[in-house]
Amino acid sequence: MAGLDPVAAGGPAVAARVGLVFQDPEGQLVMDRVEDDVAFGLESRGWPPESMRASVVSALGEVGLGGLERRRTARLSGGQQQRLALAGVMAPEPGVLVLDEPTANLDPEGARAFAARLARIRAARTATIVLVEHRVEEAWPLADLVLALGPDGRPIDLGTPDEVLARSREAIEASGTWLPNRPGEGASRPSATAVPALGLTAAPVVAARRVRFAYDGPFVLDGVDLEIRAGERVALVGPNGSGKSTLARLLAGLLRPTGGTVELGGSDPSRLRARDLARVAGFVFQDPEAQFVAATVHDEVLAGLDADDPAVTTAVGELMARLGLPLDAFGDRSPYTLSGGEQRRLSLAPALVRAPSLLVLDEPTFGQDRHGCEALEAILADRVSRGAAVLAATHDERFIASFASRVVRLERGRIVADEAVR
Amino acid sequence: MIVRRLEVEERALRSPLGRTSPLLKLVIALAWLVALAFSYDIRPAAVVTLGAVAAGLTLGRITPGRLAAGVAPLWAVAVGIGLTNMLFSGANTDAANTVIALIGPLRLTFAAVVGGVGVAARVVAVVAVGVVFGQTTDPTRLVDSLVQQGRAPERFAYGALAAYQAIPRLADQLGTLRQARRIRGLRSGWHPRMLVGLLVLAIRHGDRLALAMDARGFGSGPRSRYRVVRWARLDAVMALGALGVAALAVLAGR
Repeated sequence: MAGLDPVAAGGPAVAARVGLVFQDPEGQLVMDRVEDDVAFGLESRGWPPESMRASVVSALGEVGLGGLERRRTARLSGGQQQRLALAGVMAPEPGVLVLDEPTANLDPEGARAFAARLARIRAARTATIVLVEHRVEEAWPLADLVLALGPDGRPIDLGTPDEVLARSREAIEASGTWLPNRPGEGASRPSATAVPALGLTAAPVVAARRVRFAYDGPFVLDGVDLEIRAGERVALVGPNGSGKSTLARLLAGLLRPTGGTVELGGSDPSRLRARDLARVAGFVFQDPEAQFVAATVHDEVLAGLDADDPAVTTAVGELMARLGLPLDAFGDRSPYTLSGGEQRRLSLAPALVRAPSLLVLDEPTFGQDRHGCEALEAILADRVSRGAAVLAATHDERFIASFASRVVRLERGRIVADEAVR
Repeated sequence: MIVRRLEVEERALRSPLGRTSPLLKLVIALAWLVALAFSYDIRPAAVVTLGAVAAGLTLGRITPGRLAAGVAPLWAVAVGIGLTNMLFSGANTDAANTVIALIGPLRLTFAAVVGGVGVAARVVAVVAVGVVFGQTTDPTRLVDSLVQQGRAPERFAYGALAAYQAIPRLADQLGTLRQARRIRGLRSGWHPRMLVGLLVLAIRHGDRLALAMDARGFGSGPRSRYRVVRWARLDAVMALGALGVAALAVLAGR
C-alpha cells in the first residue's frame, strides 16, 4: 500500500500514509474541540505549529466545517462529526483514504452532504479513495473502479461501475448488497400486506397528547400529538437530534413525559409496573449490545418470562429457529460474541416472543444487509397481520418505502408531517 | 441523545484562573488538601472553602448559580458523612465527655459533635476546591499542561481525556440498560448484570478509540504541539496567593 507492505511496515508507518474513517462518528473523535481533533494527527506526525494551523483551517473548510474550530466535538451533529473525522484524516495529506461505511450512522441529509464533500475531494485527485459500502447509491457515481466481494470474501467482479452493473448485477444482489436502481425503475415496493380494515375504526393502541419532554435543558419534544391504531406500520423520520428516539421511548413507557399524556392500552405506560408494561409494549434499541441483560442467548430471550412454562419454551424455540438462531446451536453462547447481524436478530426476539400490541423499533435496519432487512420486514408484516401496531424510528429510505403505511416526520421536537403512504 | 455534560463556561476559561496553568492548579488543590490534614479543627476547612469559592467567583468568573449547582449534589454527602462520624464516634462512649443529648441507647457528646462537624467541613472544602478546579479548567488544556509542563506520559494523559469524554456516553448507556430491563419486565433499579453490560460497552468504545488514535499516527514518533502551554507571570502570582491561603489555613488550625 502506497509503496509499503502494510503488515511488514507496521501500524505507525502505514498511518503516516493512509487515512482511515470508521462507521461510528463518536467513536473516532479523540479530542474535546474541533480544531484540536483535526490537529491530533498532525501532532502525531510532528508537524511544526504554523503549518498545523494553516492545515487545520483548510481541512475544516474542505469538509464544510469552517468557523466551527472552537466548537466541542460532542456538540456536533452525527453528520458534522463524520465530516470532522474526514477532516482529521485528510489534514496530514495521506496518499490513500480508506472509508469504512462512513455514512451508515447519518440521516439522509448528512449522508448526501458527506458524499458531496467526497465528490469534491475526488475531483481534486489528491488522494486515492477506497470506500467500503454495502448501500451503494451515494457512492456508486463517485467510483472509478468497483470491486464487488461475495459473502465468502472472494471477488465477484472488478471493473468500472458500468461494466460491473452490466456483468454481475444478479450475483451482487444475491449476495445481499443493494445496487442503484436501473434507469426508470422506482424504489422497489415488495408486496407488503394491506392495512387491516379495523385500522381506522378501532380505538388507538397508543395516543400521545400535547406531549412535551426535556432531559435537563430545553424541550426535546414540544406539543406532540400522535395516535397509532392496530395494524398501522408507522415510520418515524427526521434529522439526527429531532427527538425521534425520545418520542419512541415515551410511547413505550420508558420515559415519562414532562407535560401532556401518553396512553397505551388505556393506561399511562410510564406508570405501569415493568411486568405489565412488557406485556403491552416491546422496544428494540438501536445498538443491540446496549440492551443485553443476560450472559447467554438462552437466558437473554427468556429473561422476564416463565422458563418452566412449556408453551413459552416452545414459542421461544420456534421464534429463535425462524430468526436463524436455533437454541441448540446458539443457546449457550454469549450475546456479545455473536456477529452484528446475529446480535440484531437476537435483540428482536424478546419483543417478538411476547406479541405486544405496540412494537417500537429504533433504527431496526442499522448495520443489516439486504437479507437481514428482508427477514425483518417479513417478521414485522406477520406481527402487523396479527393486529400489532409497529412504529420504527428510522433514516432508511428503502426500509420506509417498503415497510411503512404511514410516515410521521419530526423536526426540532414537533411533528411537521403525518401522512398515509399507501 | 442525552448529553449531560458539565461543560466549562467560556467566560471562566478566559478568566485569570482559567488561564492559569492547569498543572499548577492541580498542585495548589493538592497542597490545600494537605494543609487540611494537620488538624481536626473546622477553621482550616473554612479558610480553604472560602478561599476556593472567592477565587472561583472573582478570579475564575464562575457564575454563582453554576458554582452552587456543582456543589449541590455533594452537600448531602457531606452532611451524611458528618452525621455518621458524629453518631458513631468513639468519643460518645468516653464517660469523661460532656453529654449533649441521649437518643435512645445513644449518648451524643460534645466532642463527637465537634468531630463530626469538622469532618463535614473538610468534605465541603474538598468539593469546593474540586468544583472550582473543574469549572475553570478546559480538559484539553489540562492534558496539554500535564504532558508539556508535568512531563506526564502521553498515552496516560490522552487516555484520561478520552475516558473523561466517555462519561456522558456511559451515562446514556446506563439509562438504555435500565430501560432494556424494564421493557422485559425485569425488576427495575440496580442489578449487578448491568455492570457487565457497561464494562463490555466501555471496552468496545476504548478499543475503537485506540484504533482511531493509532490510525492517526499516535505513538509513531515524537509529537509536535498544536497548543503550547508555557509558564507565565500569572502562574507565579497565583502560586503565591495560594501559598498565602494555605498558610492561613494552617495558622487558623493552631
